[in-house]
Amino acid sequence: MNHELRRPGDDDPIVMTAEERSVWVYLAVVAITSTAYFAVVIPRAVSQPIEDVSWITPMLWTLGFSIAGTIVGSIVGSISGAVGLAIRGIRPEGQLEGDQRDKDIRRMGDQRAALAASSAMFVVLVLAMIGADLFWIGNTVFLAGTVGALLETTTKIRAYRRGF
Amino acid sequence: MPPKPTKVTNRVRTLRFESGEMTQADLAEHLKVTRQTVIAIEQGKYSPSLEMAFEIARVFKRPLDDVFQYAAGGTDDQPSS
Repeated sequence: MNHELRRPGDDDPIVMTAEERSVWVYLAVVAITSTAYFAVVIPRAVSQPIEDVSWITPMLWTLGFSIAGTIVGSIVGSISGAVGLAIRGIRPEGQLEGDQRDKDIRRMGDQRAALAASSAMFVVLVLAMIGADLFWIGNTVFLAGTVGALLETTTKIRAYRRGF
Repeated sequence: MPPKPTKVTNRVRTLRFESGEMTQADLAEHLKVTRQTVIAIEQGKYSPSLEMAFEIARVFKRPLDDVFQYAAGGTDDQPSS
C-alpha cells in the first residue's frame, strides 16, 4: 500500500461498528454460557442414568443468561464505543451504525447458522424415530444451537477482519 | 490476518487523494456507509455491490472501469498479498 496516499483523517482509529461489536458480545456470551451448561450437565450424565439427569433447569438458566447477556452486552458495547469515540474527539456519525457491508456479513453468518440448524433437525428426527431419551433430543438441539452460534459468529468475525 | 484476495481491484484510495481533501470519512458520508466500509474497500477486503460501485464512480466523476478493475493482477492501491 502506498502510505503517501494518506489524508489526516485516515489516521483516526478504526472502531468497530455496533454490529461487529454485537457479534463479539454474542460469541463471548455463547461460549461462556454453553461451557457453563456442559460443565454442569456432562458430569451428571456420566455419573447417573441418562433418564435421571436434571438438564431442563440448567438449560433454561443458560438460555436466559444468553439472551440477557447478549442484550446487555450489546447495549454496554454500543455505549462504550460511543464514549470511546467521544473521548478521542472523533465524530461517532458514520462510524457505529451498520450499512450494506454489515448486512452482507450478517447474511453470510445466518447461512452458516441455518446449515447447523438443518443438520440438527435431521439428527433429532432420527433420535425421535429410535425413541431416544428426551435428554438426547433436548441436548442435541442445544448443542446444534451452540455450534450454529459459534459458526455464525466466527464466520462474521472472519468476514469483518479478513474480508470476503 | 491477511486480507482475502479478491479479483476486483480498485483505485479508490488514489482517486480520493486526487479529489482534493477527501478523507475516508468524507467518502463514507457521500456513500452513506461507515468509514470501516470505505477502509475495507480500499484494502481489497470488501467488493462493494454494483450499485455502490456506481455511487463511488459518481462521487469521483469517473467511469466505473476507471475506479474498479476485474483482473488477475492488482493495482498500486491494493495490498500485494
